Amino acid sequence: MKKIRDAINGVDLRRFRFLLQLFFFVLLVYGGYFAVNLGQSLPTFACGFNDAGRGGICYLLPLQHQLAMSWGTLFGWAGLMVLQGFLFFALWFFILNKGWCGYICPLGTIQDWITSLRTRLGVRYSRYTEGQFRRLSLIKYLLLALMILIPLGIGGALLPHDMGTPFCDICPGRMIIPMFTGDFSQLTIDFSTKTTMVMTALGMLVTGLFLAGAFFKKRFFCFFCPMSALHYLLSKPALLKLKKDGAKCTRCGDCYRVCDMEIREIADEVKEPRIMQDDCIMCLKCVAHCPEQGALKATFAGIPIFESTEQGFIKRMTKGHHDEHKPQ
Amino acid sequence: MNTNPSEATAPAYNRSRQAREAETLLDRIQDDFPDNPQAMRYFYDLFRRVYCQGEPVKHEGTLVGTTCIHAPEELIYAFGATPVRLCNGSYHYDQIGADFMPAKSCPLVKATLGSLHAKAAVPDTKSLELIVNPTTCDQKTKASAMIEAMGYRVHDLELPPAKESEEARLYWQRSVRRLALRLRELTGRKLTRNNLRQAMARTARAQTAFRTLHQLRKSAPALFLGKDAFLVTNAYFFDDLDRWTAAVERLNAELQLRQMEGFQAAQKRAPRILFTGSPPIFPNLKLPLLIEEAGGVVVADETCSANRMLYDMTAVDEWLLNDMVDGLADRYLKPCTCPIFTRNDDRQRRLLQLAADFHVDGVVYQAFAGCQVYEMEYRSIADVLAAQGIPMLYVETDYSPDDMGQLSTRIEAFLESIKTRKRNAR
Repeated sequence: MKKIRDAINGVDLRRFRFLLQLFFFVLLVYGGYFAVNLGQSLPTFACGFNDAGRGGICYLLPLQHQLAMSWGTLFGWAGLMVLQGFLFFALWFFILNKGWCGYICPLGTIQDWITSLRTRLGVRYSRYTEGQFRRLSLIKYLLLALMILIPLGIGGALLPHDMGTPFCDICPGRMIIPMFTGDFSQLTIDFSTKTTMVMTALGMLVTGLFLAGAFFKKRFFCFFCPMSALHYLLSKPALLKLKKDGAKCTRCGDCYRVCDMEIREIADEVKEPRIMQDDCIMCLKCVAHCPEQGALKATFAGIPIFESTEQGFIKRMTKGHHDEHKPQ
Repeated sequence: MNTNPSEATAPAYNRSRQAREAETLLDRIQDDFPDNPQAMRYFYDLFRRVYCQGEPVKHEGTLVGTTCIHAPEELIYAFGATPVRLCNGSYHYDQIGADFMPAKSCPLVKATLGSLHAKAAVPDTKSLELIVNPTTCDQKTKASAMIEAMGYRVHDLELPPAKESEEARLYWQRSVRRLALRLRELTGRKLTRNNLRQAMARTARAQTAFRTLHQLRKSAPALFLGKDAFLVTNAYFFDDLDRWTAAVERLNAELQLRQMEGFQAAQKRAPRILFTGSPPIFPNLKLPLLIEEAGGVVVADETCSANRMLYDMTAVDEWLLNDMVDGLADRYLKPCTCPIFTRNDDRQRRLLQLAADFHVDGVVYQAFAGCQVYEMEYRSIADVLAAQGIPMLYVETDYSPDDMGQLSTRIEAFLESIKTRKRNAR
């Protein structure tokens, strides 16, 4: 048992994550070709616009559709349907918590690939300043609110119908993910009405920003992701958890400096054991880069599954010291 | 650097005073205790050769002195230079250095100044081409100009007085990058991803060896004595990095073997002591040695001549120069429990955790007379430990041997009270 535990805690997390992310990318982006259908309540960007290949659908698409029903329908029996969808979404989410972001989200995986490309080219990353970070962190809640209010407004005939699924319009996933199955049709500006024109143009802009941003900033888009905001609101009862034992922490900051999401609390907070913050993507890099035995750990239903250890840390860093060719 | 003022004490006399001090201590460390580990012989011999016989330690490239643990040595190694830590523990140099500082100053700073001022100091200061002086406490900060006046080249490595804020972190990262530029100028070499990574691999191996030794000291009854542990970490100040690491790895292997055989380095009920405060630096191992001569055993420490210098390790996410240098900067600032920083919660937590992990019975707090920051933190540390029911002995001392008698009485009384407590607890 101890051997198995040591092997897990000493895992080469980078490699493990790469393989797992690749697996889920194939499952969600090409799964449709193999008759995979995980439903339409997935708590991750399995883009529904990827008609042919999708192995499931991102919950935000049906959610916006449903909320745009006329108020009479929505607040009647159809409301139950909406609740049912939300329930499935929540159940999926509870299993992995934000692990959906760090291990499954295809858009997140694409950003990690772009990061790999950057490090291979030897280009350094950029970081936000602390002030920028605090402000940017709020945008995702704003997007989440708009994503709910705009469809509701449409349903109440307060807003024009052609705003349809406003977040999908500006989501870079809609343009980028279908391209992986050879569908470039989303990469256009829709000139049918003024609203669609504005929204799709905005979408183009965001996609451009996404590609450029992700090149310089690790997980650039995740700071703004309304799905991440929705996740955080539900994260308390989730089964996968990130925990910290503050007494064992030396506040060396190793976890903070490897954090793609620049979450300072992971290093500085020593009182609250439930350490997961709203921006967290549960990639568990912090656990892998913590040299203190048991200071950080991921637990599933209360059982520790991956824990920081001195040996694991040394093993992973030694690999970095001796990897001759790859900077990452 | 050969431009030391000529009024310094004559070399022969100097060496003999220093050598006698070292020799007396080494004799006590070696002869007062039975069953010293075989692998410790390397360190005993090393100190005898260097301190008693004045044998120079060979070094590669430019020799760069550092006056504090905040100077990132990986950078120095990466430029093909060799760092040597100048913090000095000799009473002889303390007396020479007294000319530079006010009467009530830290003996460590005075001894460092004294050794730099003296002509034939040990470890060798003649060939220093640069001294990196982190602006830590007031005394070290002000020493900078004095060292420069002696004819050395000094780089003030600017350290923020707080470490919590992001501003402090960024300021320090810039400060470390500026040091890299200075080293490039000095050595005429370039800092590359590969040479920095190699340097980091070397120190990481040394830190790993230290951590293994550190973990071995958890075993109860004690496997290894603190007087030897301090000698090992003190050797890190000046010894060849790879040779030092290999010697520690040999020592670890021997201790692991001894552990399997059920070896005991001290009595089963010997009080287990956690040492904190001003750093014991060779040949001033007065206090740890007195503790162990009186039947206690120093199982762990929280000082900048041992644990704080070697324990924390650097994490790197992307093996690119910027991330490596910033990672190093973080490692030298964030986990540091030096009392010069505004707050000391990290030090309190570290002490409590060490006390729990190492089954500590009591804490000995050494404050050098004149080291204000340690003196000022005494109260807060005493309160935190008292709240946990851990007894503490606060000792204000300096490098002079005059208080040995008085100290050994106090230490014996402290250890005796711990033993009584333990007996009553049973």
